[in-house]
Amino acid sequence: MRTGRLRHGFSVVLCAGVALAAGCAPEPAGPDLRAADLAATPWETIRAHARGTTVHVGMWAGDEARNRFFQGPVTEAVAAELGVTLRITPLADVADLVSKLLNERRAGRRSGGSIDVVWINGENFRTARQAGVLWGPFADHLPNIVHYPDAAKHRDFGTDIDGFEAPWEVAQFVFAYDTARITDPPRTLGALRQWIERHPGRFTYPAVPDFTGSAFLRHVLVHASGLDPEAFLHFDEARYAAASARALDFLAAIRPHLWRGGETYPATPADLNRLFVNHEIDFSMNYSPSFASDRIARGEFPETVRTFVLEEGTLSNYSYLAVPFNASNPAGALAVIDHLLSPAHALARVRAIGGLFPQSVESLTPGDRQAVALLPRGPATLAAETLARHRIPEPDAEYLVRFERDWLREVLQQ
Amino acid sequence: MAAGVASPMLRVTALGALGGLAAGPLVLLAVTSVAHHWYWPALVPPQWSLRAWAYLATPGAGVIEAAATSAILGTVVAGTAVAMALPAARALAARHVRGRRVVLFGLLLPVLAPPLAAAMGLHSVFLRLGLTDSHLGVALVHLVPAVPYATLVLAGSVANFDTDLEAQARTLGARPAQVWWHVILPAVAPGLAVAGIFAFLISWSQYLLTLIVGGGRVLTLPLLLVGFVRGGDEAVGAALSLVFIAPPLVLFAGVARLLREFR
Repeated sequence: MRTGRLRHGFSVVLCAGVALAAGCAPEPAGPDLRAADLAATPWETIRAHARGTTVHVGMWAGDEARNRFFQGPVTEAVAAELGVTLRITPLADVADLVSKLLNERRAGRRSGGSIDVVWINGENFRTARQAGVLWGPFADHLPNIVHYPDAAKHRDFGTDIDGFEAPWEVAQFVFAYDTARITDPPRTLGALRQWIERHPGRFTYPAVPDFTGSAFLRHVLVHASGLDPEAFLHFDEARYAAASARALDFLAAIRPHLWRGGETYPATPADLNRLFVNHEIDFSMNYSPSFASDRIARGEFPETVRTFVLEEGTLSNYSYLAVPFNASNPAGALAVIDHLLSPAHALARVRAIGGLFPQSVESLTPGDRQAVALLPRGPATLAAETLARHRIPEPDAEYLVRFERDWLREVLQQ
Repeated sequence: MAAGVASPMLRVTALGALGGLAAGPLVLLAVTSVAHHWYWPALVPPQWSLRAWAYLATPGAGVIEAAATSAILGTVVAGTAVAMALPAARALAARHVRGRRVVLFGLLLPVLAPPLAAAMGLHSVFLRLGLTDSHLGVALVHLVPAVPYATLVLAGSVANFDTDLEAQARTLGARPAQVWWHVILPAVAPGLAVAGIFAFLISWSQYLLTLIVGGGRVLTLPLLLVGFVRGGDEAVGAALSLVFIAPPLVLFAGVARLLREFR
């Protein structure tokens, strides 16, 4: 039939179009720098290589102040100091990029990748490192790495860093309450449990796999065990068995007293914050120590909101900058990362978007030290010294993976 | 008599409720995008702020470029998908085709598979073809979910088309191209419009496929939006959502009017 031939001809034309497009795709250029040659390459050579190039940075971009800072002052500073064009690629979840890199590695695409620098840590770093999709080691060759404390350079959620990512920002978990409602919040895990039992329906936490909910669970895992938080730095089967049993007991005990009887949980910190400001619950929580101040400034929280930490301490972690194994522009990536590790950038960032100053003050010039002392702090943010005194390290990522799974089975589905 | 009075009232109430259900979330988004210090017990926002909209208008935010990219991609995908779907729909509508159901099921497979698994599989294929990190690759990968939807939508309207009309036209001396242009296309035009809208919307709302296959080099509205909605800035998220919803709404209104004229 004629129409049949017409249809057939149509699909042939289409396929030819696709094949032509595939054949015309340009061959990606090889990397201009190999990690193995780094030790023998003077920093000035790397900067010279970087000049005139474009660097694509993949990072979460869901906050106005943050985006304005990176699109404005940071892009300008990188252009002026390095001659590099900075392009921000918004990533809602770094795990998506890691999946993409895994696919590219399997397909043998060793160069010409779309991202040069990625903001990463914890589980995503572990997955990326184990799968060999990161470029490096490079961190120890960055001149500005000297400004970061040793503790930040060795392990990330229990995974050895080995120079495959460079420390950048630091965060610490805090709880928020409204002084117009509560005068004295519970400041230990035991006191929190009593408070929850006395105020049924007034507390909840986001369900895993949400990052904030998972961090709350880790506090319960570490503190309910009664062990030193340092004991969780390396995974140990017996320790996990004992600690998780106690933590699951704690969570099962508070569950009937949670918001909606623990039948359902908020899915995201945004949901949790909405319940909090609408007086459905009395606490919020977040891994950003300045989150309450940021939200007061944005008109999302009342001015009476304040934050607190647990006496036993709250988890703190560094987030890092890494280079994908197939980055198109490793030299540009290193130059940009080194800029982002500079005291000048750290000071400008804390001034513009809040957060903690991540560098060791001893490494700074007297002028910079003074600038750090004068850094502004939002109305709801705790003093840097208070936070530092209550800082505990993140457990090995294996604890996190196992406990999230057990929580789903033992608490959520009961 | 009583029923006669009640039914118009009932109809108005039902229509009002439906309209409210549809408009409610939009109104909430609009208010959230300009509200300041809006939380319990305030029923209406005590203060207003244009902060979110001012941010979207700044050049650095990249909203205008992303919206343009999304619109061009959506238009190309819709046009291509409809062009591919029409012959397929005609074949499927012919009753004598054997294994029609199997083909239909096969068509739906990319839509039925879990999004991440489907995206990863497609990414592998596109990597081999050298089509990743490019606009062309993103447009092609959007076709994967768009073509099945367009085909299914078109199959319905093509099934009602009387193929005898083609035979008649040819008997009267029309060439195949003339048959297509003067007989087939006018008859299936409303179906084409609806299928085109579906395909446009599928492309317009892709997040994962655009991110994975486009590698972040192809910036569309969903890529900007998802970051704000997941744990970020509420007012900007709401304003961006409205920017995201507006073009499809306008498109729908336009096509709805077009379809009325056809009747």
